[in-house]
Amino acid sequence: MGTATRAGIQAPRTRGASAAVPLDIRGGWRRRRHALAPYWFLLPYFLVFAVFWCWPIIDSALLSLQNTRVNPWDWNIAINWRRLLIDRAFHAALGNTLTIMAIQVPVMLTLATLLAVALNSPLLKLRPIYRFAFFAPVVVSDAAYSAVFRVLFNGQFGAVNHAFAALGLPTVEWLQDPNAMLSTVMVAMTWRWTGYNAIILLAGLQSIPRDLYEAAAIDGATPFDRFFRITLPLLKPILVFCLVLSVIGTTQLFTEPWLITDRGGPGGGAETLGTYLYKQGFVSMNFGYAAAIAYTIAGMAAVLAALNLVFTRGKQA
Amino acid sequence: MSGFGRIAGILIGTVALGLAAAGPALAQSDVKGEITVWSWNVAATALKSVVPDFNKAYPNVKVTVEDLGNQPVYDRGLAGCSAGGVNMPDVYSVENHESSVFWARFPDCFLDLKSVDAKEADLLAKFPKFKLTELTVGDKIYAMPWDSGPAVVFYRRDMYEAAGVDPAKIVTWDDFIAAGKAVQAKAGPDVKFVSNNTDSISTTWFRILANQAGCAYFDETGENVTVNQPGCVQALETVKKISDADLFLSAGWDGSLQAIKANRLASSVYGAWYEGSVRGNAPELSGKWGVFQLPAFAAGGNRAANIGGSSLAIPASSKNPQAALAFINFALGRPDSQITQLKASGLVPTLPEAINDPYIQQPQPYWGGQKVWEVVLATLSQIKPARGTQYFAEADGIADGILLAYMKGNGKSAKETLDEAAEQISAATGLPVAE
Repeated sequence: MGTATRAGIQAPRTRGASAAVPLDIRGGWRRRRHALAPYWFLLPYFLVFAVFWCWPIIDSALLSLQNTRVNPWDWNIAINWRRLLIDRAFHAALGNTLTIMAIQVPVMLTLATLLAVALNSPLLKLRPIYRFAFFAPVVVSDAAYSAVFRVLFNGQFGAVNHAFAALGLPTVEWLQDPNAMLSTVMVAMTWRWTGYNAIILLAGLQSIPRDLYEAAAIDGATPFDRFFRITLPLLKPILVFCLVLSVIGTTQLFTEPWLITDRGGPGGGAETLGTYLYKQGFVSMNFGYAAAIAYTIAGMAAVLAALNLVFTRGKQA
Repeated sequence: MSGFGRIAGILIGTVALGLAAAGPALAQSDVKGEITVWSWNVAATALKSVVPDFNKAYPNVKVTVEDLGNQPVYDRGLAGCSAGGVNMPDVYSVENHESSVFWARFPDCFLDLKSVDAKEADLLAKFPKFKLTELTVGDKIYAMPWDSGPAVVFYRRDMYEAAGVDPAKIVTWDDFIAAGKAVQAKAGPDVKFVSNNTDSISTTWFRILANQAGCAYFDETGENVTVNQPGCVQALETVKKISDADLFLSAGWDGSLQAIKANRLASSVYGAWYEGSVRGNAPELSGKWGVFQLPAFAAGGNRAANIGGSSLAIPASSKNPQAALAFINFALGRPDSQITQLKASGLVPTLPEAINDPYIQQPQPYWGGQKVWEVVLATLSQIKPARGTQYFAEADGIADGILLAYMKGNGKSAKETLDEAAEQISAATGLPVAE
């Protein structure tokens, strides 16, 4: 880049500039000004980034090292981090988050893959309508769909329990029983995000060359073989992308447990890291501990995303 | 927000000039401006009911009462204070047991009421001492006591009668459980005996019964964790007995009121402030509901407990603290207004003068002609004071999970459960567990 730029800048200079001004000085100044130009354009972004990203990141790290429950706040390096180790409510929230991750994410991605294959089928008529229908849940606002799920899963008057009763099944306290609460949250999340992932996977499916399938068909591969030998391997990068997004989304999960099960539910049955962080920070007014939890969540998300990439990249090569 | 506020505003606009005149009203019409009040459901209704009279005395103050719901008021208040006191109303409602966190963490977010008006100390001195303790830090008094929450049992007369249960004979919690079984057996599978009052937190029953037994998360100094003391153990065991007898309806605030309206709930145990909610929610059930005092742990034992009870404070960011204080004094510092709120929402007055109002002795038509306020207020003097402390929300959250696991039957004893809760609360707050 260096030589090309210099030549470009200096070429008109030698012709137009007055001989009285030393060329290298004026050229150097110009050059510096040009080199700085992009940074001037970027400055507004850097300012916003510094104020709204860097500063909070640094400040919350400092917060996590303070006892924020005394007035004025007091430096106490271990108080919050030590509490993470012995706080059973935090461990329960971590357990719930990991449970959701272990059950909901694979189920959702399996459904999304099957849905994508179905939506990609040439046999399907009115495809755009189906695609929109499955994508639609994402368009609905968090609060609105949470309110609907709250009504559907209401223990006494909800449609779900009415259906259970009609089928002769025992009714469930969906919003009050700890295990049931977690299932309610997972069902809601699956409803909302399956279609979204399916559309991303569908795009992946459409990029797989048709001739591969034709060749396989000529070689006598069954549809089953084609799915597992061609579709899945070639879809893997997209699946990993969906997996990483879903896993990160789950570590930060807040809206569904907060709104559907009423602030994580009685007894913290659907407490996640997100709701626990909020409660510590803004209900118990313990910013230091909330900051320590936030760093734990960020750390977890980073490690999980890295693991996902490492596992898949190794095999792909 | 309220239609009333707007009408009042128009009235003020048209009549203000004419009224700004002589006599004792002079000083009051000097107080002018707009104030916003944050409150929740029945409490907001109560405050709205006082506004017309307030505007007769203070025609130049426009009051807007916003009903945000109970938890949002707390959440938004903390958010506002932690942001340095922005987006706050002029008058803020706070539950006493939750209030300490504001005074402790944000000592400058609310005004010392005495600093707004030098004469305020005389009015505050009229309130019972135990109501003021949680609102006082050093020589600053941050809020004026509003109502108390003496807990009672609300019950369906017809359902009890059908099962041959006489509420006058329910004197212990064991009697209560026996009555519950009889009522449920008679009324069929759709009816539950009593709501577990569980919204986001399942500890309401435990806290009522613990207070009845003279126990709380912390002692009265707020310096020790006492949740594993014998009174709390007794309370938790009793709640478990009710739960094991399958008498609980699993429902929160809205669910319980829906069940009441649908004739699916035979009783409710809550603070007396629930009176206005039952009445307002199901007016068609007039005459079918009654009230009796909490059963005791053993015959002859204490039948009084407190749940809830709130206060009003003035955020330091208020642009009109004079008008805000005028409203608080008018709504809470006068027996008339307190009775207006009792009629509107069932808020039990804290001001001693109001307790002697003749209205208290009147039979209430909704409650089958029962003198419910006599029943309720008879317990007031037996209520044991308790201190929420600035760690209340934290302790309550910890107890919630541990107690619920016990209620579902995890094989531990009540004592073991509360020992665990005490240890966790101690670890979270740094306060020692009392011996």
